[in-house]
Amino acid sequence: MNVEISDLTRKFGRTRAVAGVSMQTGAGVFGLLGPNGAGKTSLLRMMATVIPPSSGRIRLLGRDPDDYRERRQIRRRLGYLPQNLGYYPGFTVVEFVEYFALLKEMPAAEVHRAVATAVERVGLGDQARAKLRTLSGGMLRRVGIAQAIVNEPELLLLDEPTAGLDPEQRVALRAVLREVGQRATVIVSTHLVEDVGAACGRVALMDRGKIVFHGTPDELTARATGTSAAGDAPLERGYSAVLAEARS
Amino acid sequence: MTGDREHRVQIEHGPPDVDLGRVWIGVGAQVWRRHPRAPERLAGWLLRSPGLARALVTTPSLLLGWVLATTVVLLAGVLATRETGTPYVALLAPAIAAAGIAYAYGPGVDPAWELSGSMAVSDRMVLLVRASAVFGLNAALGLAAGGASGAATAVTFGWLIPMTAVCGLALAVATLAQSANAGVAAGVAGWAITVLCGQATTGRFTAAVTDSVLVLPYLAFAGCCAAIVLYATRIQRGTR
Repeated sequence: MNVEISDLTRKFGRTRAVAGVSMQTGAGVFGLLGPNGAGKTSLLRMMATVIPPSSGRIRLLGRDPDDYRERRQIRRRLGYLPQNLGYYPGFTVVEFVEYFALLKEMPAAEVHRAVATAVERVGLGDQARAKLRTLSGGMLRRVGIAQAIVNEPELLLLDEPTAGLDPEQRVALRAVLREVGQRATVIVSTHLVEDVGAACGRVALMDRGKIVFHGTPDELTARATGTSAAGDAPLERGYSAVLAEARS
Repeated sequence: MTGDREHRVQIEHGPPDVDLGRVWIGVGAQVWRRHPRAPERLAGWLLRSPGLARALVTTPSLLLGWVLATTVVLLAGVLATRETGTPYVALLAPAIAAAGIAYAYGPGVDPAWELSGSMAVSDRMVLLVRASAVFGLNAALGLAAGGASGAATAVTFGWLIPMTAVCGLALAVATLAQSANAGVAAGVAGWAITVLCGQATTGRFTAAVTDSVLVLPYLAFAGCCAAIVLYATRIQRGTR
């Protein structure tokens, strides 16, 4: 298992953003669904080793992120796209991806080819030498995805990766996720149900800091059977049904 | 005939072992490749980390424009010192260094701070290397300017300790306020207050850099600021 979490909590002051989450997952694309403020981003940030949990146990890639050396080993094999990607406006696309490849301690001899591969995979070959300040929001999102996959991560964490992408780019991104998910664990946090249906083999639904559903997209869809849950698509109705049940 | 057929098959479908995507990636890797300059290669060799070296050469206050501006200000200080006999270089150097340190990095100032916080080369290590390099460069430029101004040796070296304290203040404020400009303001204002207080008590502008009684307070202050930076850049534990 690449991700093993038990009874994980994270508090910010008096607010419990994550309240006793347990989950295990291996290779494949895993969707993390939930409304705004459900705790998805906080959970992802803990898995990215950006913030530690307030309590509970977390092991990533078989290692303990609380230990400095093991955390460093995890980070070498980690890809992370934050919800708000900060960037350096004066860097070009290639410079930005290369910078983070170097900070991930990739072998210097492999960096150039890995950067070119990542930039092509997200369809930014034509913009490789463009300054980041000249790119659109969707392009910047793809730059963020390129830096996340540049080291061929074994654990890829993407927070709202399709935000700002047009339909064609979203389809292309889902193909990349499925490809990476064949050998790595990909966890995608999103509030767009159709992304989960198209790309994820398993899905968890979070609400108020807790996981209220864990299963396959088909199982989530089936939860709407016999209910009057709202939604335009079957998966959306399953999502609404589970949320309504959790809040009742 | 058999040879003709094989030839035709090759023309129609191409040799089976050529992966054009792979070839294109190889071309892209060569075309887009950035060739590190000598300072970056040297830094990479010294620090044993290409990532740290890249972070160092992209530090805003180590870029050529900033270094040239620093040099020009210190040269003006040299000329003023020679004209008036007052060691202006000693008064300018700490304030300039404080501005440079505030723009060195700062986890709060870095726009990609969250991404940087998930990297194998830690953001604290990047901060340490960048701040040390900026401080070292400013100290070297200041000492060269101090020597050229003809000031007494005690004055030439006297500002190094207060500069440490002022830089510590600028870095701490920039980190806590998440703003390099706030760090610059704090550093420069702190130094101005110190200089003016020196004048008020002794009637001499240069008391802040020539009075050896202040050495320990300066060092203690710098230590406190370093502790604040360490605390503010720690991985947040538990509640906050």
